[in-house]
Amino acid sequence: MTWWRNLLRHPVRSALAIAGITVTTAMLLDMVLLAGGIERSFERLLLGRGYQIRISPSGTLPFDTEATIPGATGLREAFKADSGVAGVAPLLGASAFARTGDTLVALFAYGIDPAEQGIYQMVSGSDLAAGDTIGVLLGAPAATRLGAVAGDTVVLVGRLDPQLATALIERRLIVRGVARLLYDSRGQLSLAAALPVVQSLAGIREDDRVSAFVLRARSDGQAESVTLRLRSAHPDLEVNSVTDMVRHFRERLVYFRQLSYILGTISLIVTILLVATLMTITVNERLGEIVTLRAIGVSRATVVRSVMAEGAALTILGGGLGILLGLATARYLDAILTTFPGLPAAISFFVPDADRLLLAALVLLLTGVGAGVYPAIVAARASIAETLRAEAT
Amino acid sequence: MSSPSREAVLRAIDLRKDYPMNGETVHALRGVSLDVCAGEYVAIVGPSGSGKSTLLQLLGGLDEPSSGSVLVDGVALAGLADSALTRLRLTRLGFVFQRFHLLPVLSAIENVELPMSEAGVGRAERRARAVELLGYVGLAGRVAHRATQLSGGEMQRVAIARALANRPAVILADEPTGELDATTGRGVLDLFRRLNQDGTTLVVITHDEHLAAEAGRVIHMLDGHIVEQRQG
Repeated sequence: MTWWRNLLRHPVRSALAIAGITVTTAMLLDMVLLAGGIERSFERLLLGRGYQIRISPSGTLPFDTEATIPGATGLREAFKADSGVAGVAPLLGASAFARTGDTLVALFAYGIDPAEQGIYQMVSGSDLAAGDTIGVLLGAPAATRLGAVAGDTVVLVGRLDPQLATALIERRLIVRGVARLLYDSRGQLSLAAALPVVQSLAGIREDDRVSAFVLRARSDGQAESVTLRLRSAHPDLEVNSVTDMVRHFRERLVYFRQLSYILGTISLIVTILLVATLMTITVNERLGEIVTLRAIGVSRATVVRSVMAEGAALTILGGGLGILLGLATARYLDAILTTFPGLPAAISFFVPDADRLLLAALVLLLTGVGAGVYPAIVAARASIAETLRAEAT
Repeated sequence: MSSPSREAVLRAIDLRKDYPMNGETVHALRGVSLDVCAGEYVAIVGPSGSGKSTLLQLLGGLDEPSSGSVLVDGVALAGLADSALTRLRLTRLGFVFQRFHLLPVLSAIENVELPMSEAGVGRAERRARAVELLGYVGLAGRVAHRATQLSGGEMQRVAIARALANRPAVILADEPTGELDATTGRGVLDLFRRLNQDGTTLVVITHDEHLAAEAGRVIHMLDGHIVEQRQG
């Protein structure tokens, strides 16, 4: 077990090599986390409230466009009639304004059924009761912006006359509480109110329109079969399971993933080159010592093990620090990337999990050991007599 | 140490060694035969290029002869696989080099323990023997010193203790005083004499006349031949 003493022979060189491995490991880890992180984060977000199916206007994904589905009440009953469906939540997204004095604050309004919803979690105050058409929940940024707390009244303006900029529809609603709206981007000003309220504000009450439905299957195992049945029964609608949506999402991110794999592979190759170069230099420097060991009876296997252990030790030291650095940079980069406009704040680009960390650590360990193979072979195959002759001259 | 007997522990039969150099063949050894008996102290002398070091490397199984054979304890080296040859070097031969070749990152005692560790000797046993050997070579007070913290003479003593670690049948030394000043060299010379008196078989290559004078038999080499042998 002399690897650590050997590393200390040239402390600056070893430290530089470890620093290099640390950086490439951090990059490798970040690329591994990035390659699948956003997908897993997206899936986690979609399944967060237990709804496995999404139904949206034909040819779109929920909230991809402003298209809406008419006849929401009838469709909801039709979906509920399926034996595999446990719950159906209608969802409408619309623009609204809150009047504060002489100014209007633009808001995004979610129309929901309080008894069946999958888009928010309560933070404070009380939830909307079933049939509550005079209450509203505010997202935290909206509550702060409007200076409203539970019990206050807010004036919402639904449509503006484009000529006169005056309100066509205006509703006074009581703030019931503050909610975390799961699909909001960072700092987005939003509210949630009963579906009829938001339909009125949007001027689509008569057609009973919604943006999408989210459905809960009776079990996760039934989600796919329910999706297929509803897709067949409603060919004019886009019916997708979360698995389908993740697949769509993955298809959109294919170049992103490829870039991650390419950069990850490059960092791995750089790690291999770093370790192999350093170990080859080290072996050539110590060839005299190595052949002396062989001369006094140390086996080739011991020499090979010793060189490879040194390479692995370098990689483990650099890799361990690299994992810490990679997690720190992932967190920093995630904080930057998740401020992109329109991206749900709950989405993460880098999602650390034990499997990915273990995979990265294992790949690195194999890399370190593998990179030591060539120098180890050089060490084991060195001619004792020739090297001793060269040393003597 | 065991008392000397007169059986051959090391035998060279018509050894020849040729190797290419700058497009020509160098005949380093041109048919050398030699028997070294247990307990003997043999010095091999001769000018540079006479084939001394090549002979020592062939006797120690560090190189293969172009023809001829070497037997250690009656075992022909030519028929051995690399692993068996390595094992034989580990257990039956001890090597002392001109430039000591200790591992600089290890302490004196760890250097001495190294061959025993490779031979599978238990930790307590090898530590006790390493302490005993370092005491024998006069370095009882330097066991924990790194090789780099020792003088040239001390390093060569550690190398001698390392060579003795696995109780070899014979010790092969290549210019053991070549890197030492006269005073320090005399200390090593005294140690070799004591080793031989205690029963260790020694084959020493040297330019050092004092060291050669200590040997029981002196072999003179010239141009790859043994040209003279005399009892000391």
